[in-house]
Amino acid sequence: MSVALQTVRTAFLEAWANRRGFWFQVLIMMVNDVAWVIFWVLFFRKVGALRGWDTHKVLLLFAILTTCTGFGLGLLANARRLGELISGGGLDAALALPTNPLAYLLTRRVDTALLGDLAFGPVLFVAAGDPTPERAAVFIFGALCGSIVLVGFLVALGSVTLFAGGRGEQADLGFQAILIFASYPVDIFGGLTKLFLFTAVPAAFVTGLPTRLVSSFSWPEAAAAAGAAAFFATLAVATFNLGLRRYTSGALWTRA
Amino acid sequence: MTAAVAQVGFSARRALHQPGELAVRVLFYAFILVVFAALWSAATRANGGSIAGYDVRSLLWYVTAAEGAVIATKPRMIETIGWDISSGAIVTEMLRPASVVGLRLAAELGEALVRLACALAVGGVVAWLYVGPPPSAAAAALAVPAAVLALCCNLAAQHAFAGAAFWLRDARSTWFLYQKLVFLLGGMLLPLEFLPRPLADVARALPFSAMAYAPARLASGHVDPALLAEQAGWLVVLLACAAGVFRAGERRIEVVGG
Amino acid sequence: MLAIQAHELTKAFTAGRGRGRRTVEAVRDITFEVERGERLAYIGPNGAGKSTSIKMLTGILHPTSGSATVLGLQPWTQRRDLARRIGTLFGQRSQLWFELTTRQTLRLLARIYKLDDADARRRTDELAALLDAGDLFDSPVRSLSLGQRMRCELAATVLHAPEVLFLDEPTIGLDLLAKQRFREMVVRLNEEQGTTVFLTSHDVADIEHVADRVVVINHGTIIYDDQVARMRRSLLQTKLLEVRFEEAPGELVMDGVLVSAQTETVYDLVVDTRRRSVRSVLDDLLDAHAIADISVVDPPLEQVISEIYGGGP
Repeated sequence: MSVALQTVRTAFLEAWANRRGFWFQVLIMMVNDVAWVIFWVLFFRKVGALRGWDTHKVLLLFAILTTCTGFGLGLLANARRLGELISGGGLDAALALPTNPLAYLLTRRVDTALLGDLAFGPVLFVAAGDPTPERAAVFIFGALCGSIVLVGFLVALGSVTLFAGGRGEQADLGFQAILIFASYPVDIFGGLTKLFLFTAVPAAFVTGLPTRLVSSFSWPEAAAAAGAAAFFATLAVATFNLGLRRYTSGALWTRA
Repeated sequence: MTAAVAQVGFSARRALHQPGELAVRVLFYAFILVVFAALWSAATRANGGSIAGYDVRSLLWYVTAAEGAVIATKPRMIETIGWDISSGAIVTEMLRPASVVGLRLAAELGEALVRLACALAVGGVVAWLYVGPPPSAAAAALAVPAAVLALCCNLAAQHAFAGAAFWLRDARSTWFLYQKLVFLLGGMLLPLEFLPRPLADVARALPFSAMAYAPARLASGHVDPALLAEQAGWLVVLLACAAGVFRAGERRIEVVGG
Repeated sequence: MLAIQAHELTKAFTAGRGRGRRTVEAVRDITFEVERGERLAYIGPNGAGKSTSIKMLTGILHPTSGSATVLGLQPWTQRRDLARRIGTLFGQRSQLWFELTTRQTLRLLARIYKLDDADARRRTDELAALLDAGDLFDSPVRSLSLGQRMRCELAATVLHAPEVLFLDEPTIGLDLLAKQRFREMVVRLNEEQGTTVFLTSHDVADIEHVADRVVVINHGTIIYDDQVARMRRSLLQTKLLEVRFEEAPGELVMDGVLVSAQTETVYDLVVDTRRRSVRSVLDDLLDAHAIADISVVDPPLEQVISEIYGGGP
């Protein structure tokens, strides 16, 4: 565990090495997030409440979304590039070390710009999310579950490269899909789409469910969030390890 | 001039040879349309069928055109342009007997037109399936050239903005900034009529509205040929800016060395 | 104990799709042994199977058949245990974190290899001295030249004092001087620390300056395995001269020199260095003719290999 933390720390140091660029990118990301906040404020100004959603609730969703992307794409920045890394031979470098290859690859890089999201999310929650200690605790819990689902989903998709080759395009597509659907209130969607968002592209578990937990907590739903996180974490690790076995036996495509 | 036309055709053909990349872009666009179809139908239903003078049908056609016109451009273009200028890679292009920025724009236009055609085709089908045909055939007919003009304005603006990327020395962040400007002030996802009056007036006066709002407003059923004239005007201004930025970059290379 | 032992290692890949599907044997029946403390050069042209072999020995790839042990461990089933005791340096891939200093990378590696802080610090200083690194460890990697970077890569590779060092084409892209220095470092590591060295390369000069034993692989099989000293005696006896004359010299007859190809003014000469030194041939040529250009070149690897195949020049 401490190796992973140390790797994250080193990755952070590397991003921090260019001090001016670091703060600039964080700033721009926050500006980017503010633009989205403006979008939602303007939207609800004209539309009013929508299926139980209003400005307040959607900003809560956005706070959770940015915290999840900050963690899953900022801190563990290689999660979404796993397929690309594998096809480029980056896995071999990780395999040369006496450490868990998946943990190493995930912690190997930090994306400065998206760290801006990680800072913005909690700030937005405090500013617009009616923060009480209970709600804050649920917020952290919900965002953590959502982050794990996001990372797990991306890793599982990226690991497909270990079986099927390619350069990770399926992961790119999955990433776009989950991000788009997680950015909007899940209740605007009809039954079939909603089902889709709780299964194939688990955007509802990234933001939808956590948002509901913070607004109106219930133990069954909290369990569901934790269950989803556990499921996608397991799926990711299992897919990767199975794929790794395939990769090292190297029968599928020429790796000479 | 003929070199530019040839360049357009060449890069258009090249874009067709990368179906994977095209498919990913178009799918991304389809996701957005699906999401916005759900969003706008829920929103209009909750407001008696129309908001800010748009009903669900005009709203969805609005998004189809706005998003389509923007998605046709390459997301990292500002990054690559900025890099090419600051690294001096445009030196080889300076050796050709043609305008550097002119040929570049022509090259980008070729690819972008292919993407626009695919996007509008797919988007048109999706929108039609959800809400039926566009509210006004005449307006829709105008929307197509407007989309092409929007694309041209966007490309020219990105080439002009690349100068800012070089100055700020961070192309990715510059592109984020640019994207948000088009997003909010260009009326890409929210019709400008949603903005409070003073902000809406400012937005209408800026070039970003030519890149998304113009074709979208037409597609949503509002016959307003003046929009096309506005776009043409902005195109001239933006091309001049782009040429200026590139000339400054070339001059710097000539003085400092590639 | 033997450092490395390979027995009939074979690796077959499935290439192509559908009807074009075929099995390609990247390596076949690779058998050799490496003693502890040896310096072995594993030479072969591109595509000969060097990388495949080294990947199997380091545990990244499973063989289709055959067996191998490195330090008594089976690489592909005991990869992580083996990784603690070997070091790998792949010429095209960097272990160093680009924006940070080498020392910062070494600090992380110390954690990964479970070295305690005192050990790690001592070892870093030791390597700084051994590799003549001076201040290099404290400069950001991105500011180093390729030659300097390779020395830092080497430090990162041996921080944990591995018993076997695997180097895969480490001198690619380095200039002559940097290559020379790098080879010296590798030899020094071997002589002062007893590290077994397994080096793959397609540069024949690596045989001459690093290895005491050479294994030549071509088209997936080993075609030569012997001590370098013996190889030097039987092969590598020629140098090539490419000479461009100002005027056509006509027929060229010189002792110990063979004309392998010629146009009107450009001649490719093969000098038998057992009979004559290159210097004396050059002197004669320059005395007798007006020369526009000369280059002196080692025989290409393919020629050395074909000599090996043919059993001699």
